[in-house]
Amino acid sequence: MLVKINSAAILGLEAYLVEVEVDSQKRLPGQSIVGLPDASVRESRDRVRAAIENSGFEFPPGYFTINLAPADTKKEGPLYDLPIALGMLLVSEQILKKNPDGTVVLGELSLDGQVRPINGILPICLSLGKKRKKVIVPKENADEAALVGGINVIPVNSLREAADYLAGNIKISPHKVDIDALFQSQPEYGIDFADVKGQGHVKRALEVAAAGGHNVLLVGPPGSGKTMLARRIPTIMPPLSLGEALEVTKLFSVTGLLHGKGALVTNRPFRSPHHTTSDIGIIGGGRIPRPGEVSLSHFGVLFLDEFPEFDRNVLEVLRQPLEDGKVTISRAHSSLTYPAQFMLVAAMNPCPCGRLYDFNQSCICTPAQVQRYWRKLSEPLLDRIDIQLEVPRLKAEEISAMPTGESSKEIRKRVMQARKLQSERFKGCQIYSNAHMNPKQIKEYCVLDKEAENILKSAIVHLKLSARAYDKVLKVARTIADLEGLKSIQAQHVAEATQYRSLDRKGGEF
Amino acid sequence: MGLESYQQGIKGEEIAENYLLEQGYQILEKNFHSQQGEIDIIARDKDFLVFVEVKNYSFRSYGSPVGAIRKSKKQSIVHAAETYLYKKKIRNTYCRFDVLTIYRRKDGSRAIELYKNAFTIN
Repeated sequence: MLVKINSAAILGLEAYLVEVEVDSQKRLPGQSIVGLPDASVRESRDRVRAAIENSGFEFPPGYFTINLAPADTKKEGPLYDLPIALGMLLVSEQILKKNPDGTVVLGELSLDGQVRPINGILPICLSLGKKRKKVIVPKENADEAALVGGINVIPVNSLREAADYLAGNIKISPHKVDIDALFQSQPEYGIDFADVKGQGHVKRALEVAAAGGHNVLLVGPPGSGKTMLARRIPTIMPPLSLGEALEVTKLFSVTGLLHGKGALVTNRPFRSPHHTTSDIGIIGGGRIPRPGEVSLSHFGVLFLDEFPEFDRNVLEVLRQPLEDGKVTISRAHSSLTYPAQFMLVAAMNPCPCGRLYDFNQSCICTPAQVQRYWRKLSEPLLDRIDIQLEVPRLKAEEISAMPTGESSKEIRKRVMQARKLQSERFKGCQIYSNAHMNPKQIKEYCVLDKEAENILKSAIVHLKLSARAYDKVLKVARTIADLEGLKSIQAQHVAEATQYRSLDRKGGEF
Repeated sequence: MGLESYQQGIKGEEIAENYLLEQGYQILEKNFHSQQGEIDIIARDKDFLVFVEVKNYSFRSYGSPVGAIRKSKKQSIVHAAETYLYKKKIRNTYCRFDVLTIYRRKDGSRAIELYKNAFTIN
């Protein structure tokens, strides 16, 4: 006797249909799962047995062969528990199926027969939505599944409920969500730029960075507020659009970061991996490649604290996604591409002890130590960071003062204006912000007036700006002009932009 | 111990047989041997062909007897079961492995427990 139930498997951010075939034979009792299952799929045997018995069914006798077709792709995760259990109940005729075929069944089982939530529901429903119109999902995943319009989402709590539904004993009405309401109702960040004391010029620079999508390097002694400032960058970036939110949600869903965070990610992600994170952790990978930190900060901020403490190879692998806005990971099994359009915010101390250039403490590092510290950052990497900033230690009166300054909301208004100008400018191009202009576009869009040109020339001479730094200054100046809503770049814009080249001004090193 | 435990074993199997008959089992074979294994009792329980392993234990033994059926013992039972099915040309029949435990208390009385479908072949 043979029964087939549809389920799904995820490859990257796409999903494909998996047929769970359950065959039973009258012979010595046992069970085998074929179709390249990984350990968590093979272990479903024990979960399924307990769940069936604890749901008031009888564990059927005989030998079961369970095939997950197509048999040549690796299957992972516990999402086949529910289809396997239902298959065994159908084969042993403990439920008589009334509903039509083609229903996709997904869900992990707990030993008491409850259906537990799984990862990757959104990508599965998006990929299969065109072909299959009905999906049985764990109740906790129902909102997420229903984000995909045009499919019937049947939420189930337990194996018993799923079985009753298949048998036609009970009716479950398809779950619906109001996407717009859900999108609007999500909480805001809960942090604000107004919380930060002092550091007016850093706030301004971060506003410029957010407006033009420029990557930032913050250099300052410990406790000067680098992390606090970085955390607040998402709050001044424009809110995610629905399309962007869905894409971020997809990435969070396959990585299992969605549990307990609602069905839809509406805030820009802020990821701050520790500096011991491996290159695979940053870029993504594994036997079946999973998204890394660069992809999880897609449309958001990737914050790397203690920048030079990261492994050299970790820093170098950042270069390609910074350039392309996506990462392609190839493994023997498969080659996958994940999006990675993020804003890099790096923070570091000026020297290993952190006190270099501090006004009231003296540094205890030797020049060689300082040099070694800075050498971790390669030229090509620094090349991709447009804004370099010093974040000085706060003065006593600043520390004791009440936090002042603009709220994130006000700053965000200006940022959104500037972004609007950019999206009009780059309509039809591959890029979306000033930071990604190529040399030709810089020539076209960064036109300086006479006075501005003079200032830039003298900056090149006096600050010894390199040719590379020249382009960066132009790009940043373009963003500053956009913030003011001006077509042409003026002297004060260039002057401000040269301020954001601390490293160049100090000769590549502090 | 030697002779005593042997006698207990013989006695145990008698008790087991009676118990199974009471439960409606129909005994087909006792102490079936294959080259690499043996089965204490082979019986029929309704639609099922049942291979029963009998385990004696007393207040003197340590731990539960079901836990005492380890992988090698399991393999020996499975091997014998397969041999039996092959020799008797039995196909298309539901089979089951049961374990019957007989616990001998200090006062000599016994407690019998039957674990149906105690294990599978993998």
